Amino acid sequence: MTISPAITSPERRPPRLVGLLPWLFAVAVVGYAMVVGGYAATVVSFALIYAVFVTGLNLFMGFAAQVSFGQNAFAAIGGYGSAVLTATYGWSPLPAMVLGIAAALLAAAIVGFPALRLKGHYLAMGTLAIGLITYEITVEWQSVTQGYLGISGIPPFGIGPYEVTSDRGQLIMLALVVAACAFAAARIRRSRFGRALSAVAGSEEAATALGIDVSRYKLMAFLLSAGFAALAGSLFVHVVGYVSPEVFGLHMVIVTFTMLYVGGIGTVAGPLVGALIVSLLPETFRAFKDYQDLAYGAALILLLIYAPRGLASLFSPRGRS
Amino acid sequence: MSLAVAAHTNASAASPILAATGLSARYGHIHALHGVDIRIGEGELVAVLGPNGAGKSTLLRAIMGLSANSGEVRFRGDVLPRSDAVAVASRGIVLVPEGRGLFAPMSVSDNLELGAYRLRDKAEFARRRDRVLTLFPRLKERLGQAAGSMSGGEQQMLALGRALMAGPKLLLLDEPSLGLAPRVTGEILETLGLLNREGLAIVLVEQKAPLALELAARVYLLSLGRIVAELDPRDITSHDDLARHYFA
Amino acid sequence: MKQNLIAAVLAASIAAAGAPGASAQELYKIGVSAGLTGYAATVDRAWRDGVELAAAAVNAKGGVMGRKIQVIVEDNRSEPQEAVTVYRKMLSSDKVDVFVSGCVSAGNFAAAGLLLRAKVPMMLCSILPQQAEHLPWAFTTLPPAGFEVDKRLEYLKEKTQVRKIAVLHDPTPYANLQKGVAERNAAKYGLEVVSVDQYKQDDADLSVQISKARSAGAGAILKIGLGGTTLTAAKNIKQLGADMLLLTSLEDLAVFGPVSEVLGDKFFFVASPSQVYEALPEGALKAGIKAFLDPWREKFKDRDPNWASRGWDGVMLTVAAIEKAKSFEGEKVRAAYEELKGFQGTTGVYNFRPDLHQGITENPFVLATIAAGKVKVVQ
Repeated sequence: MTISPAITSPERRPPRLVGLLPWLFAVAVVGYAMVVGGYAATVVSFALIYAVFVTGLNLFMGFAAQVSFGQNAFAAIGGYGSAVLTATYGWSPLPAMVLGIAAALLAAAIVGFPALRLKGHYLAMGTLAIGLITYEITVEWQSVTQGYLGISGIPPFGIGPYEVTSDRGQLIMLALVVAACAFAAARIRRSRFGRALSAVAGSEEAATALGIDVSRYKLMAFLLSAGFAALAGSLFVHVVGYVSPEVFGLHMVIVTFTMLYVGGIGTVAGPLVGALIVSLLPETFRAFKDYQDLAYGAALILLLIYAPRGLASLFSPRGRS
Repeated sequence: MSLAVAAHTNASAASPILAATGLSARYGHIHALHGVDIRIGEGELVAVLGPNGAGKSTLLRAIMGLSANSGEVRFRGDVLPRSDAVAVASRGIVLVPEGRGLFAPMSVSDNLELGAYRLRDKAEFARRRDRVLTLFPRLKERLGQAAGSMSGGEQQMLALGRALMAGPKLLLLDEPSLGLAPRVTGEILETLGLLNREGLAIVLVEQKAPLALELAARVYLLSLGRIVAELDPRDITSHDDLARHYFA
Repeated sequence: MKQNLIAAVLAASIAAAGAPGASAQELYKIGVSAGLTGYAATVDRAWRDGVELAAAAVNAKGGVMGRKIQVIVEDNRSEPQEAVTVYRKMLSSDKVDVFVSGCVSAGNFAAAGLLLRAKVPMMLCSILPQQAEHLPWAFTTLPPAGFEVDKRLEYLKEKTQVRKIAVLHDPTPYANLQKGVAERNAAKYGLEVVSVDQYKQDDADLSVQISKARSAGAGAILKIGLGGTTLTAAKNIKQLGADMLLLTSLEDLAVFGPVSEVLGDKFFFVASPSQVYEALPEGALKAGIKAFLDPWREKFKDRDPNWASRGWDGVMLTVAAIEKAKSFEGEKVRAAYEELKGFQGTTGVYNFRPDLHQGITENPFVLATIAAGKVKVVQ
């Protein structure tokens, strides 16, 4: 915890290698889980699924500086889409996932159009409502979702006759998906679209005055974010083989927000680093038994005090002051 | 209010680049406009002066379509939509807002690039960028630096540079001298004068009258959301003159 | 700092991996995935205490086939994904031999596939997984959902004039199962279900549902589900001046005092044998409960024994299965569970079969009310 404040000052550019540290950390953790397998593999697999979700959340909240408490709704749509189509209707996972994501995008477009006219607190409350309503639907629409009973027997991912069932196979698959998502986020950040999002984040009015169609870009970021969430939801149900409403409840909102802020909002590596740290921390404190939550909470507070802009920003080439 | 109708038969008034009639707007509680009429000639630099809270910023925002407003604004004869700032910006009307509206965490280079967001012609982009960096050589030294980390004067240069990247036909400037040292202000106004002489129409909103008066071809006085006078700067010789108009 | 974290992770996992070893030979490990926090906390903490009490009792008598029982409890926070993590942790790091897990059914379902692959059986507090391939490895101490309902219907038929009833239930799987039974079985008892309504566990007012039941002509409400809503329902019935009986599900006895104050002799509840121990006739059941209830009361005084008693049964069934199989192996213990017949537990007699993993086959419940501050069995 001895991080010199100079690193975060905007003038100084740390050498390239330092920027690679968050990625090396991620590779080390995934590699470790791959070697050890078992419980570590489960924890890291979940962390990687969350990383996909948080990468999407970061597009909307970090790149475009909007707030959404309701992205779990789209994870639920993607997850339940996959679960119902495969377990109930016997589809294979890939088309089920694609349709689940498409359904989530459609839902995001329908709610995003009016909701994104809201600003600040109103947008936050509106999105919170979307998450809560979706949760209620997954509980109440029992003929399709089976309510709290949940849906079991969801097949694992696979191409043709090859199914990814082993821990290591799943880790490799998830690591590849996360790498693709991080690459996409990095490309988006540097693209024309990404700069427009930064402008929206900086000042909606200034962006508008420069001829940037703010509401259109907000909607696009919202849709992209929903797509990532739906992908994560679908990955989750295929990896676990089971889904029930609690999976995509308010708990998910809290955990993913923590990951986003601990990792570093607005950075490219932040979502992955945050997802890994926030997933690993409670496990490292499991031996503390009843004090596990206390230790975890204390660790989070320390992280936010010493790295208020998130862990990844400590290593970003252009420290954002 | 009789002074407002003083007959200034300015040559450019015949074919204005911008003409607003009966423009009313609301921004917060006090910064409102009540039926404002103004005309800006092609290539003209017009100053809008008035005390704090007179509605100067609201006027610029209303022209851009950034705040709820009513009335008619014509740009080279065409009626502009009243609540679509993107459409207004696409006609070539560019606002440098109060407080500059820079994207503070982004680099100088990125800020400039965002100015030309609607431009897809790479050669034209390079030409505009060269021009801005020639006008403001100090930005050239700071291309990679975060906009928010520069001095006030440099930030104002960047705001102006970013606006120029959009290739404006009419530039709306909201108090560019705010918070700047006199020397820096002088530098910026000098550049504005240069741009104006090259034919760029500019609306300059200011609280510090003397600076604006040096450059402006015409001056509107705004008070409590109404135009109270339209003057020739040469007629204003002292601060007392202005005060007289405000309280007439 | 990152290095420290990695080091911490490494250290933790090495410690976890290194824990078994020399002592592993003498220990039989029971894993408990329980919702110690979250919505299942009350039930699952009691379940855990019952499991630990039973393990201590077995160990005091020298353990099972020469091995001491070690209980490993992990909190699944009442969340399915946490349950998967803790099941996985107990399987791969602690290398548990069997699970005697709590009442978070979604968590047990989510982990069922893991157990199938690891060939480790589980004895549950919750309902059984729905997936056919998971069923061979899962057993439950839970009496069939119908028993709680049947006992109430039986009482209404035999001891009251009420012939029209309303069903009020929460959206949990167990409550839904019971609702289905009520709808199917009512006619068998000469009763008619005139209204079925759902509520949520955190609803603060149920007067809409109760008014509806009353206008449909219901003389009694079967309330299915746990928690503070029972008191809410009682208050609403009184406020509306409705002349209806309220018959609620099995629940912590502590909840019922205030409800009884509101509704008096119009309030009845389903109780498990351990809750009405004093009122039971002498016999095998009473003796079975006594074995558990004596140490329980010594340690926890008058805390409700219901869920803990089934946790106790879970461990005792496992011990019986090991002794029957003469083996600690998962596959053999699993097979032995299926052969346990006439096992006298605290909740009744367990009769497992290969095609029946829900061992309680005879209705152990009673219907009770509270009269003059004392629990009184009425059926």
